Amino acid sequence: MLVTAASASRAVASRQRVAAARRFATVVDATGFKVAAVDRGEATTSISVVAKAGSRYEPLPGLAHVLKSFTFKTTGSKSALRTVREAELYGGLLSASLTREHVILTAEFLRGDEERFAGLLAQTLSSTKYLNHELHEDVLPVVSSEAAEAISSPAVKAIELAHAAAFRTGLGASLYASPHVAVPADAVKEFARSAFSKGNVAVVAQGISADTLAHVFQPTLKDAAAPTSSASKYFGAETRVADGHGQAVFVGFGTSGAATPELEVLAGLLSATPSVKWSKGVAPLAKTVPEGASVETLLYSYSDAALFGFLIQGATPTVVSAATKAAVAALKAVASSAPAAEDLKSGIAKAKFRAAQATEGRDGVVASLASGLLGGPSGALESTLSALGGVNASALSKAAAALTKAKPTFVAVGNVHELPYADEVGL
Amino acid sequence: MSGLSLAPWIMKRPGLLRVLKPVANWYVGAAGWRKLGLRYDDLIADENEVVQKALSRLPKDEIYARSYRLRRAMQQSILHTDLPKDQWLKEEEDIPYLTPLIEQVAKEDNERVELDNLVIERRLPTPPKSQEHH
Repeated sequence: MLVTAASASRAVASRQRVAAARRFATVVDATGFKVAAVDRGEATTSISVVAKAGSRYEPLPGLAHVLKSFTFKTTGSKSALRTVREAELYGGLLSASLTREHVILTAEFLRGDEERFAGLLAQTLSSTKYLNHELHEDVLPVVSSEAAEAISSPAVKAIELAHAAAFRTGLGASLYASPHVAVPADAVKEFARSAFSKGNVAVVAQGISADTLAHVFQPTLKDAAAPTSSASKYFGAETRVADGHGQAVFVGFGTSGAATPELEVLAGLLSATPSVKWSKGVAPLAKTVPEGASVETLLYSYSDAALFGFLIQGATPTVVSAATKAAVAALKAVASSAPAAEDLKSGIAKAKFRAAQATEGRDGVVASLASGLLGGPSGALESTLSALGGVNASALSKAAAALTKAKPTFVAVGNVHELPYADEVGL
Repeated sequence: MSGLSLAPWIMKRPGLLRVLKPVANWYVGAAGWRKLGLRYDDLIADENEVVQKALSRLPKDEIYARSYRLRRAMQQSILHTDLPKDQWLKEEEDIPYLTPLIEQVAKEDNERVELDNLVIERRLPTPPKSQEHH
């Protein structure tokens, strides 16, 4: 009885989700302007401009990070100060974020202020002046403190180094500007011109119609050659960096091509993160991780590559190396023999939940729709869920075996005198 | 920066400009900064925040050239002589390299003051008439 009720309600939820997805008007018009918008009558409107100009596309290290921080600065019509003050007066939020694939500019505001904020975004894309003194007085101090703050975390440092070791160029480029490479204002201007060209930008909005957006953005976006990035290739390497802030180890393997459903289920299956607070969890890996260490199973999926791995953190190098051994052993166990049916089931459930959760909320909607619009894998949830449901134990085991055949990416950050080497943890 | 000036008014009138330009040129020559190798913008008093900020926005080579000119002029001042005539600054070299930056900084400061003192009026439907103010 309970089961039928649950499945019935799930079916209803599924239908509603499909309906919600269909209400998103996705348009790529004749001039190449890409927009996805839905108006459900929310009290606030959000407009995100997603440009295919993440760190993998930057021609100079740190350029994407500087470009991100150069948004909402002085344009042809408004100074940076006026932009900020007006946004405050109108109760709007302006933000910019950076991923390895995309630079995302977002304006969130009350319904009724569409013209002002959409216009502001369009102006930012097309007429930001990229003034030299603004770069040195406002942008670079923010960039360098953001970078210093992020890199002071051993976990972030390990992940940045892991990407560099795994992919070298392109996806290997750090999200954070390097203090060793000067970024001139002219280079930012040139990169922005190609990054915010008409074909390279997608607009994803909620609480506003696609026509209004096209009306505002169409005339301002210009045509230019989009920034390019070579196809990703996985290399793998071992990196050890001394750091005084803590211990972190990343062990991972990369693949070319976006993450397959098998990899996503593998990440769910090998997840050691408990679903309930104050518990250790019952996942196979959770049982073998020693006290005082945490193992996070990560799957970075990009348009043409994926990086699967464990981020192991702990108070001392000893527990970190024990936990690293446990994580590697768990991965090898799946690679050598098919996992138990119930483990597979919970792995699939976790992967499905993650996939569904990732497409919800403002950021999730923006990321999944923009990825589809800009030629990456589209985030059609229904097909993703059914693909995840179709993963079986032997396919999973085969995928894990194929993954571990590649050269591992091993990054140790912290006390490098005591942290293990790759060959000491069973790789 | 400067006080009242008739210059813009005169510049708009070609006849007047033709008459007064030689006088102005004579005055500039007599003031003597070009004889010390200085540009007019080198004379602007820099002991204030606006000009300091404008100076910080100069390109590195401009800063170097400015320091050189000032040092050379200081030396000539100590010696109580002008530079040799071939080293005098020519009229076409007397470029206002700092004034535009000072104007830019001043404009930013004025904008900040203006925004700090904005009077915001709420556009709401007419509020209900209050009883206590009479």
